[in-house]
Amino acid sequence: MSDDTPPPETPPGDASPSNQQPAPHPVRAALPPLIESRILDEVTHGGQTWFIVRTPDQRAILEHLRFEQNFEFLKDITAIDFLGRDTIERFQVVYVLYRIPDKLNIRLHAWLPEEVESVPSVVDLWDSARWSERETHDMFGIVFDGNPDLRRLLMPEDFPAFPLLKDYPLKGRGERRQFPLVRPRGNEMVEDAPLPYPVSIGRGMHTPEYVEEVQRESKPRKK
Amino acid sequence: MGLESMIGGEGFLTTKINDLVNWGRKNALWPMPFGTACCAIEMMATFSGRYDISRFGAEVVRFTPRQSDLLIVSGRICLKMMPVLQKIYRQMPEPKWVISMGACASCGGVFDTYTMIQGVDQFIPVDVYVPGCPPRPESLLDAVFEVQKIVSGEKLDSGKHGS
Repeated sequence: MSDDTPPPETPPGDASPSNQQPAPHPVRAALPPLIESRILDEVTHGGQTWFIVRTPDQRAILEHLRFEQNFEFLKDITAIDFLGRDTIERFQVVYVLYRIPDKLNIRLHAWLPEEVESVPSVVDLWDSARWSERETHDMFGIVFDGNPDLRRLLMPEDFPAFPLLKDYPLKGRGERRQFPLVRPRGNEMVEDAPLPYPVSIGRGMHTPEYVEEVQRESKPRKK
Repeated sequence: MGLESMIGGEGFLTTKINDLVNWGRKNALWPMPFGTACCAIEMMATFSGRYDISRFGAEVVRFTPRQSDLLIVSGRICLKMMPVLQKIYRQMPEPKWVISMGACASCGGVFDTYTMIQGVDQFIPVDVYVPGCPPRPESLLDAVFEVQKIVSGEKLDSGKHGS
């Protein structure tokens, strides 16, 4: 993500607008004033620049970047969950754009309140947004209004949760224990309750008999 | 190999049918490779010329479970893959044996997350576990030897796992 060279005069890691008002990023400077005024903040860190807006406003900026400034490559759409952080809204939807001729990366972060139902889709601007928006919907539950095929992408179709939300536990809510134990009994396959978890690795393989057998069979290594 | 010299004479051999069948089975294991991750690369190396699992009679890799009797689960098994694995296991004819290759298949490995199965042995019976991340081909060969030991002890008159 950080393959463009950082401008030397930018202060590293400064997320607040500084007093001396550095020159705006050329991409931002090329925006029409009506659209440019919707940008809340511009951050440059580690050679990467991103603009921060509120959620319905990113659509106009993205349209301008796509058609007027030739950002024809949508790297990714993802989201960030700021649950428990002191931020103005809970979610950020992140658009990672790339301009191929001069190898320029730009990110656009759009604040999304928790209670807002949906954000506008950008499928009509970039076809690659179909799967990016599907994945973001799959992981965060964010609805992209206008995406024609907003099904689950990675998780099972009947998965009951959105696993990348910060209030979803890392180890799940027991979904990974939902299968029966399939084993043969006689001439047919039967389903039992799954074995207790966790089970020891090498069950039956580190019994005293087995250890003794290994020690008996293994030969001393030659010098 | 060696057997003819021991028979001698008229060329007759007395043995138990149980031993004869097990001898045939253990030296002609047909693996079903269920490779989902980097362990599958080591499994492929085991099948190919340098490590050459065919020295031990297990080189007939079948990509249909209906023709195999050794399931090698090599790699991460996630929530969506476990039903597939169970279906593959159900389709294999008896008798069948299972190798759980690598840390991920055996216990989830480092992936203790919502979508990773923490050990396939919760949901299908596993005969031999292979530690390693990924295991070396020698480890998989050793697991095949362990399976051969298990096969040698099978009884014909009972189901493989008892009944």
